[in-house]
Amino acid sequence: MTVATAPSPAVTGTPAGGPARRRRVLRWLLPMAPALALLALFLAGPILWSVYIAFTNETLTGSASVNSQFVGFDNFVRMFGDPNFVNSFLLTFVFVIGSAVIGQNTLGLIIALLQRGRGRVTRSVVNGVVIGAWVMPEIVAAACWFSFLAEDGTLNAALGISQEWLYTAPMLAVILANVWRGTAFSMLVYSAALSEVPPDLVEAAAVDGASPWRRLVHITLPLIRRSIMSNLMLITLQTLASFGLIYALTGGGPGTASQTTPLYMYEQAFRYFEIGYGSAIALVMLVIGALFSLVYLRLIKVEDA
Amino acid sequence: MRRSLAGSLVLLTALTAAGCGGDAAQESASGAKELEVLYKVEPTWPHLEKMLRDAKKQYETAHPGVTIKLTPVQGNNEAYYTKLALLNRSPDSAPDLYYHDTFQVNADVAAGKLAPLDDYLAKWPDWNTQFPDSVKQAAKGADGKIYGVPISTDTRGLWYHKDVFAKAGLPVPWEPKTWNDVLTAARAIKQKVPDTVPFSMYSTKIHGEAATMQGFEMLLYGTPGGTLYDDTQQKWVAGGKNFTDALTFINTVYREELGPKQADAHNAKLADKVNLEWFPAGKIGISLDGAWTAAAWKPTSTKPWPEWKDKIGWTAMPTQNGEEPGAVSMSGGWVMAMSSYAKLKQEAFDFITVATNKENSMTYSVSTGDLAARKDVAADPKYTADNPSVKFWTDLASVTHYRPAYEAYPKVSAQVQEAMEAVTTGSRTPEEATAAYVKALPTAVGGADKVLAR
Repeated sequence: MTVATAPSPAVTGTPAGGPARRRRVLRWLLPMAPALALLALFLAGPILWSVYIAFTNETLTGSASVNSQFVGFDNFVRMFGDPNFVNSFLLTFVFVIGSAVIGQNTLGLIIALLQRGRGRVTRSVVNGVVIGAWVMPEIVAAACWFSFLAEDGTLNAALGISQEWLYTAPMLAVILANVWRGTAFSMLVYSAALSEVPPDLVEAAAVDGASPWRRLVHITLPLIRRSIMSNLMLITLQTLASFGLIYALTGGGPGTASQTTPLYMYEQAFRYFEIGYGSAIALVMLVIGALFSLVYLRLIKVEDA
Repeated sequence: MRRSLAGSLVLLTALTAAGCGGDAAQESASGAKELEVLYKVEPTWPHLEKMLRDAKKQYETAHPGVTIKLTPVQGNNEAYYTKLALLNRSPDSAPDLYYHDTFQVNADVAAGKLAPLDDYLAKWPDWNTQFPDSVKQAAKGADGKIYGVPISTDTRGLWYHKDVFAKAGLPVPWEPKTWNDVLTAARAIKQKVPDTVPFSMYSTKIHGEAATMQGFEMLLYGTPGGTLYDDTQQKWVAGGKNFTDALTFINTVYREELGPKQADAHNAKLADKVNLEWFPAGKIGISLDGAWTAAAWKPTSTKPWPEWKDKIGWTAMPTQNGEEPGAVSMSGGWVMAMSSYAKLKQEAFDFITVATNKENSMTYSVSTGDLAARKDVAADPKYTADNPSVKFWTDLASVTHYRPAYEAYPKVSAQVQEAMEAVTTGSRTPEEATAAYVKALPTAVGGADKVLAR
């Protein structure tokens, strides 16, 4: 409740301009004040707090939970020196590239392309199936895939073999499950984008003798490039933070074979009670997400130029 | 205008404060007092809840005006520790009383979450007459005060299947004298009784403290001078030969495929597989586990198996090379603890005395198979009636060790689990895993000056 003493933007931000200008600013600020206050309280507050925590040795229990100390960059030094963090970082990269950038993105685009010009019934059925997987809660999707891939699961029963998929190929399992669950989002984005592509442009190219592949590469894709970048950015951020699916499916195991950074963070913060260290990991993930976004935004600009 | 803005902010803050603090008052509008009790429940482990429901009824009858609010946490021990630690972050969410694993007690004492009970215990006759001195230490803080009343205690050792042993040509009763005897028996089972798991132990992170205590420490404390903590120098021991030897045992089990398959070794439900599936089906030879294992086969269990008394044997875990005293065991247990935030402390303590009275302790011990903390329960024929193994496990107390349950212990335990898991999967050799432990230990215990190099 220390927030009561936090200065409100309206109080501190009085400009030095004339009375007319001041009145204009106030007229703008007054209706915004509750929203700004709420944002400061519930968004900026926790974020700043967690940034601060990342530089302390705060724990959930033990003496460091009552008098935690500022430890500077110790948490970050420790993180980059921990092979388990480096491992989790690489796995996160594999997971994002495999399940989002390649899997969901490509599959979503393919389904959207194949649906063009199909009958209403076909479209409804395909959309229904794909979106069905998407609306399913993460944990339910994980349970489905668990029963599919488990040793006594559906896949082994269908193939007539005994294979411990979740143990032998945990990353493949979580990537497939995430592609299965998340493709609908990309499909919807691309369906919308493709409907904006003028049919006469594509037809004209066809008349000129361009093959379907060339029409796709030289006409359709350039026209929807902004959607591609926005989609990539959104699914990358979603996948970067993906936790429930992997946690329920493999728990990050066996060993650390599928322990992506969010799972590593959970383990440190909530199993080993290292809140400070966990926050430092969260901060690094935030930076990684921002970097990814910057790259995509940059690409959009380059394309536009 | 600015004043009205400030006014609205104050109002907003006040509303938020009211929202956050709404739970703080323990007395509801009707004037009734309420005590919240936090505990854990699993589908295959409903025993504690039964006992607490009885205790709630007895307490509410005897204390009109006070209600007991039972708050269960669904899930395994690890989920329970996390939930409790999170609730304990704020006085508003902290439960008044909770079921607490003794190895977490000192960390919570250091954090100021627990209330010392000495003043109340001094006025409770049962404490002096019914609780043995060894058991009283279960939740003793570093400051010498008592922070919980024991609900149960335990010992650990080997359970084995007599039919499997007969098929493997092994003697029954079986009395291994060294680690090698255990491995030799497991090898014989692997060779002569295929389709069975020769030997099972917990050795992966998913089993948490069970891996550390039932698994690693049962080995380490059976090596000559093996310990995690040097009491005389008050420092944590950094690896050394004892540590590597214990890891080598685990490594041997998994490299020679004498243990469960890797997928099972990493399965959170391994205990259920071993006790509810494999033992009744004769699919396992030896299991390194706790005294409570037989509770899985009782009539009150989810899968009763009355034949277990004829089929199952039990024996002590031997020391590494048969060193004195010949056997090793580890003991811990659970206590009922009181939050330092509890407002109604006397009422809360009264509930502890009800929950740990003879009747309720009996209910708990008989159904869980944990060893009774109270003398009158241990002496009651009803306590041993259904379980011929109880005397053996109780007697193991003569060779038992206690964990160095200091504040840093949970973090040290986590590092032990890392090392165990690495040799279980084979990603590291025992020497490499020990080296990694040595490297991680100073961070876990809060400084290189708290570590004793070996």
